[in-house]
Amino acid sequence: MNVLDVLDKDLVKVPLLSSDKHGIIVELVDTLVDARGYSPAQGDQILDAVLARESLGSTGIGNGIAIPHAKSDVIDQVTMVLGISRLPIDFDSPDGEMSRIFFLVLAPTKQASAHVELLASIARSCTSKIFRRLLEQARDSEEVVHLFME
Amino acid sequence: MGVPFKQIVVYVDGSESSMTAMMYAIKLAKEHEASLTAVYVINTRALSELVKAGIFVAVERDEYQRDLALDADRYLNHACRLAEQKDVEIETVKLEGTVHVVVKELLKEKGADLLVLGGITDIRSRREELASETDRMMRTAPCPVLVVRDDDDIWYEFEA
Repeated sequence: MNVLDVLDKDLVKVPLLSSDKHGIIVELVDTLVDARGYSPAQGDQILDAVLARESLGSTGIGNGIAIPHAKSDVIDQVTMVLGISRLPIDFDSPDGEMSRIFFLVLAPTKQASAHVELLASIARSCTSKIFRRLLEQARDSEEVVHLFME
Repeated sequence: MGVPFKQIVVYVDGSESSMTAMMYAIKLAKEHEASLTAVYVINTRALSELVKAGIFVAVERDEYQRDLALDADRYLNHACRLAEQKDVEIETVKLEGTVHVVVKELLKEKGADLLVLGGITDIRSRREELASETDRMMRTAPCPVLVVRDDDDIWYEFEA
């Protein structure tokens, strides 16, 4: 599994409007809940799982990217929400750099293989500085999808 | 050249398409009276990449490695049940490492004359880093590769 297998225009939000780490995570989860029609209770379960993972250590990985993620059986298949923020957000990244590109990755507990492959694919796909800059400057979700498909 | 096939290897990763490939491989092995091996690879390379990139903390890597081992057992057991349904003998192999590398080694070791894969996706990007493990296996296999489309007909026919 790779980024292209799960990239969905309805699960891309540009720009994110929140101005802090918690708000960004909530906004990404809300994007998923709205697009997939989950109930508020299901949304809360997903959010709790993501925040529980975040409590183990920040998922800000440096170079302006954060990849909050969690296992959750609320969802039935590996899912990715991608958001771009115009504001630099402090995500406690190890390099001290603020983040603008956010990938929320969720997977059912019994799809560990696909989950791991997707996370690794995201890490590989964002190694290019030029690509990261293009993503940060994308005007809308269509442009984000187009950048990955090029 | 091994025609008809004598040593078939099928790659299983838990995806629906790999299970379709599994069914196809079982039927193929029965028709050709071939030996059949199902392989699952615990992708420890991806786990290492995730720790190196700072995406996984150490405790999380250990947890996912256990999850992957459980996945391997679950899907390989399922492969055995499917093969049993069709009275086909099957060997299951659980490996760890970089998927396409260890599968290539297994194919050589077994003297495989066919690798069966599911889950080949359309080419949607020119970027090499977006190639999937299945794509890489297809490119690097030292034997012929059969790609099974994820088709409901295969499931119906298998269950019939």
